[in-house]
Amino acid sequence: MEIFQIYLPIAGMQFNALILVAIGFSVGVMGGFFGVGGAWVVTPALNAFGFPMAYAIGTDLAHMFGKSIVATAKHRKMGNVDAKLGILSIMGSVIGVEIGARNVMWLTKLGIAGPVVRYVYMVLLFGLGIYMLYDYATKDKRAAAQAAKVAVAARAGVTPPAKKSWNLPPMVHFPTSGITISFWSVTGVFLFTGWLSGFLGVGGGFIRMPALIYIIGCPTAIAVGTDLFSVLFTGAYGCLTYAVKGRVEIFAAILMLCGASIGAQIGVTAVKYIRGYGIRLLFAIMVLLAGISVCLKQFNYISGSQWMVMCAALGMCLVIIIKLYQGFKKEQAEKASYAAKEVKP
Amino acid sequence: MKRFSVIIINLLLLLGVPALVCAAEGLEIPEELNKKINLANLSGISHFFAKWYNDSLWVYAIMVTLLMGIVGLTIAVCADVILNMIGMEVSKIEHLE
Repeated sequence: MEIFQIYLPIAGMQFNALILVAIGFSVGVMGGFFGVGGAWVVTPALNAFGFPMAYAIGTDLAHMFGKSIVATAKHRKMGNVDAKLGILSIMGSVIGVEIGARNVMWLTKLGIAGPVVRYVYMVLLFGLGIYMLYDYATKDKRAAAQAAKVAVAARAGVTPPAKKSWNLPPMVHFPTSGITISFWSVTGVFLFTGWLSGFLGVGGGFIRMPALIYIIGCPTAIAVGTDLFSVLFTGAYGCLTYAVKGRVEIFAAILMLCGASIGAQIGVTAVKYIRGYGIRLLFAIMVLLAGISVCLKQFNYISGSQWMVMCAALGMCLVIIIKLYQGFKKEQAEKASYAAKEVKP
Repeated sequence: MKRFSVIIINLLLLLGVPALVCAAEGLEIPEELNKKINLANLSGISHFFAKWYNDSLWVYAIMVTLLMGIVGLTIAVCADVILNMIGMEVSKIEHLE
């Protein structure tokens, strides 16, 4: 492993290049697949291997920018990016982040910022994970109930009652996602997710992605692509602002980006084979594992928490690659059998 | 009347956001990292970036941001070509749940 040791002049330390590429690769696969930046994996992982925290955050944001270009370009090709919704999400999130950051400063003055933020984080991760698992477990039951409702309404000759929603004008139409929703609902959701990301000090992708699915009503693949589109802009800003403060280790960022770009290609391609609810299930598991890691941190098992998040990321990465391989093989087999049928008259 | 109430609610909601920002506590900016890198033992590309880091953090920041974008785009194009060659090309998908 000695041959992979390189000197990082900005951070002023020796570091293993292979570890940087491997961290980048695993977070790239997850980022492309879930539409998240992955700061909650990269920062503790880098720190666990001895990278100073100040540089870990800046370097992570820099590689995140490059990686999200790769992933967004590919998602766009698959028709998964709703640019109009993405731009609205950036606008709402910026204001929300500002409010969240100021709230944290206020809590810091009171001396309770650390535990409050961690408990909110835990409640959010466990709440979100459990809700998504419940949603996955009851999807067939709900689909059957809805079908029965439609059948009863058809027999009675009436249209089934529409879901009640808040329709305060102006209404905004998003053709790519195929939804029409009140401007205030969208802004409110992004303001809230932005506030959470500012309050918790995270990129916010893991909050925005489920919010796009469950509150705005986006199809899962579009939620992933649109979230990555937003991450692209936050990553660019984060990269610039941390670099101005001298906290980006450029060589580490490039090595991580090399791994992440390849990983992102794999992650995005996997979306072609693993559809909607499959993505939601894997995301729910990852969110719950991240919640356990925050719990460990709260109870001072710092290194346990860091290893937990890293092992979870590597495990999830492996699952996505296996699923991609299986989907690819199945597609090849289907193509071959179709070609054989075409040849036979 | 309904139209009037819609306008009033929109106005209140518009004013609500800046009010929330103002109501929050002031943001204290953390002190900058004033660090200079010793260039004596560095050569080549390490020396180049470290020199810009010492001279102007703004130029360093712009270089880092541009480089990340260029490397990202280059790898995206190359990986796309390789994946197409092995038959893993992607196109528009149907959004099924």
